[in-house]
Amino acid sequence: MTCRYALWILAGSFCLIWTTARAVAQPAGVGPAPPHDLVAADHPGDNGNAIDLKWTLSGDDHPDFKPRRIRAYRIDRTLIDEPLSDDAVLESFEVPYGVAQYTDRRCRPSAAYRYSAVAIAVDGSVSPPVATSGETRAIRQWFDSSRTSFAVILVIVCGLVIFYTERTKAGKSLHVREIAALTAMREAVGRATEMGRPCLFITGIEDMNEIATVAGVAILSHVAETAADYDAEIVVPTTRSLVMTAAQEAVAAAYLAADRSDAYNPNNIYYVTDEQFAFVAHITGYMVRERPAACFYAGIFYAESLILAETGNSVGAIQIAGTSEATQLPFFVAGCDYTLIGEELFAASAYLTREPQQLGSLKGQDAGKVLAAAVLVVGCLLKTAVVLRPDSAGPGEWLKFLMSTCLGGD
Amino acid sequence: MKSTIPWLIAAVAGSVVIAAYFIPAAQSWQDAIGQWFEVLAAVAFILGGANLCLQNLQKISARQAGWGYAAVTLVSFVVTLGVGLLKIGVPVEDPQHPWAGSYQAEGSAEWWLFEYAYNPLVATMFALLAFYVASAAFRAFRLKNAEATLLLLTAFVVLLGRTYAGTVLTAQVPDEYSAFSIPGLTTIIMGVFNTAGQRAIMIGIALGVAATSLKVLLGINRSYLGSGDG
Amino acid sequence: MNREKRIWGILFVLAGCFLLYRAMLTRDGMGKVYLKPAAAAVADAPPSYVRARPDDPQAALSLPRTLGIWFAAFLTLSIFSFLYKDNPFYRFAEAVMVGVSAAYLMVAGFWDGIVPKLLGRLAPAQMSWASPSLENQSPDWWGLVPLVMSAMLLARLLPRGGWIARWPLAFIVGTYAGIRLISFLDADFVSQIRNTIVPLVVMNQAGQLDLWGSVRNVLMIVGVLSSLAYFYFSLDHKGAYGVVARVGVWYLMITFGASFAFTVMGRIALFASRLEFLFDDWLWLIDPLGKRSDLL
Repeated sequence: MTCRYALWILAGSFCLIWTTARAVAQPAGVGPAPPHDLVAADHPGDNGNAIDLKWTLSGDDHPDFKPRRIRAYRIDRTLIDEPLSDDAVLESFEVPYGVAQYTDRRCRPSAAYRYSAVAIAVDGSVSPPVATSGETRAIRQWFDSSRTSFAVILVIVCGLVIFYTERTKAGKSLHVREIAALTAMREAVGRATEMGRPCLFITGIEDMNEIATVAGVAILSHVAETAADYDAEIVVPTTRSLVMTAAQEAVAAAYLAADRSDAYNPNNIYYVTDEQFAFVAHITGYMVRERPAACFYAGIFYAESLILAETGNSVGAIQIAGTSEATQLPFFVAGCDYTLIGEELFAASAYLTREPQQLGSLKGQDAGKVLAAAVLVVGCLLKTAVVLRPDSAGPGEWLKFLMSTCLGGD
Repeated sequence: MKSTIPWLIAAVAGSVVIAAYFIPAAQSWQDAIGQWFEVLAAVAFILGGANLCLQNLQKISARQAGWGYAAVTLVSFVVTLGVGLLKIGVPVEDPQHPWAGSYQAEGSAEWWLFEYAYNPLVATMFALLAFYVASAAFRAFRLKNAEATLLLLTAFVVLLGRTYAGTVLTAQVPDEYSAFSIPGLTTIIMGVFNTAGQRAIMIGIALGVAATSLKVLLGINRSYLGSGDG
Repeated sequence: MNREKRIWGILFVLAGCFLLYRAMLTRDGMGKVYLKPAAAAVADAPPSYVRARPDDPQAALSLPRTLGIWFAAFLTLSIFSFLYKDNPFYRFAEAVMVGVSAAYLMVAGFWDGIVPKLLGRLAPAQMSWASPSLENQSPDWWGLVPLVMSAMLLARLLPRGGWIARWPLAFIVGTYAGIRLISFLDADFVSQIRNTIVPLVVMNQAGQLDLWGSVRNVLMIVGVLSSLAYFYFSLDHKGAYGVVARVGVWYLMITFGASFAFTVMGRIALFASRLEFLFDDWLWLIDPLGKRSDLL
């Protein structure tokens, strides 16, 4: 009797375990649970070629399930408007498990699309689909809203420059500190006149599409006018044809402004070659043979900056250099008598001309630096407050506003 | 007047480009302008080449000092231009399109000039930098003021820190003071001081570029047009 | 003949004798390039050649490339001679360098720029002789814009009417003024400020003060602010402000020293590669890659 009961209990337990196991296991041919709440909306601030999709993950897609049950989600897209067009052919995208959003960036502006999504299990079986309700269209916006914060910064910085420029035009005087390199330019040209040797001016090795080159040509204009006043020869070899054209215009106008058009020699502004080291080979050869008394380097320079500075030193020329390339500044600082560091290159034309509007733009640059410093200080204090009081909501929200909204970060 | 219309062209073009940055439909215009610039720069070569030829021909005809070298320049220029434009020696891969081969295909005349003249010359000029660096460092060794001393000391520490010698020299420094070993100092210099200086320079340059660009767009700076204004 | 010229003359004669000896009287010679036919990847393809070792049975001496090696070695030594002083060899090499480089880049500008991006866009069918891929393309009439600007630019070559070349120049300067204004403010202004915002007090994982981390951040902020103060144009560097600006200068000098050091090692490597060309490819005195003999 006892054995019979034991057998019945064993058989019943086995049935119970087996039935439970079957209930838990995925029977073949039955797909996973579908995702739900699939929503499609126009992607904001774009050219009308993107639609954002969001959904809730399938009930079988959970990090606690071991082994994993869902491999991916497949999003299918159909074009509603033109069922016979190429786009009407089903287009599909796959998104890995655990991801509940996707941006379709291959839409046509204003075309009507419908989306459906399925979950794909590890064994390849597919859930029933869930579809968006109605049609969704990608709309072309006229303003990229993701760049709003940058637009504000652009308006502020440019506004500061324009404000101070206009203010000095109205007669407000401005004081600027002395920059030794710019004060020395006139003396350098004078030295060349006394020694009867030419001045050499290099506007860098980049083209007129670089602002540093434009700044270099502006400095050339002033140095050429000084050379015209002092009756010194100025030689300007260039490495770009467009720069040669601009330099010829600048020097011709400078000689005209100094009332020395007769002394202008267009052959002194010439093209050498576009190749960086061939150009510098020509320049160093010229320096050693003609021994210019003053050498000016203003623009963008790369590795050749060292060769120019050292060769100029070896011929005893007074050298004044300025570049926006931070990696080349050490060589100019080591080799030249005076160096314009970074921003000073762009400030040079204002210093040299002393025109009110130019000086006003300097003030605008200064205001931009004050703004940068203020944002830095505020941001660092906020971040410090967040570290010291992590539970306090105020500093965290302000910091998020500053970093994400104002500075456009994550 | 001669600079007013060009200034207006510059101002309008620049303003359109700035506005296009914020308008989704126009954000690809920058790429188109980049392509136009490449074409213009290529066409501008004609101006440069003409100027180069003129300068050297003048030297030759006037028998100025060094006119022989001007002749060498001119001959090198004409030969390289000729064999490149005519694709001399370029193997014909498709008889239907005999001109479709690359002008710098291996074995062609242009390839030979590039491989055995252009490249060696440029590479050797680049190699001269090793000597010039030494002379620049020697000048900086003179320690004329505190700033030059600081520059030199930093260069010395960073140079050692990037080599095995730096590790060996300060290997005895205890771990809790590893920041004062040469590699540790190098890390601090690069991560703190160098980064701070670079960021300040970049912020300043950005403001300088912004101001100069605005001066161009507002017509305050027209020197490149020959207006005589800075 | 003065003493310097005599010494140089003797040195040249000795060098010439050495080269003659290496080239004529040693077993392998020097400065020679051997080629062998390459296996054709596609049938009916034109013949192509690859470098071969001198002892390869299929190898044949390539006269153009051998002359090229000697010419390249001559030009290399001519450029190096400038380190002593300016001389006719350097002047010759300089002249060749200017002529060849200017023309090479013009050729590149024509075949890679004008043909595909101007002529190929305006008349693709007519330019398919240069680039077969253009055959089935239709004209892009936006190409007229750079065409017109190019014509304006070339007007500078005319005796009169060169003033119109300012228009395309103004277009380029204006558009890139706009492009650079935006790119520099975005990458060099906003991004740098964002990356510099760090806490002045740093805590470690255990919630305790990380002193070194905090000091680093404070030094960083002080450096950026003092360097910005140095670049401020409206105030003279005097008094307390002068002290701040001086601190900024020290930071900048450290920055320049670090850049200097980073550059030095790269420059030495460039010199080493030219020496390798001279001693390996030309003089055949070393063979580090086993191009001519089995590696030991």
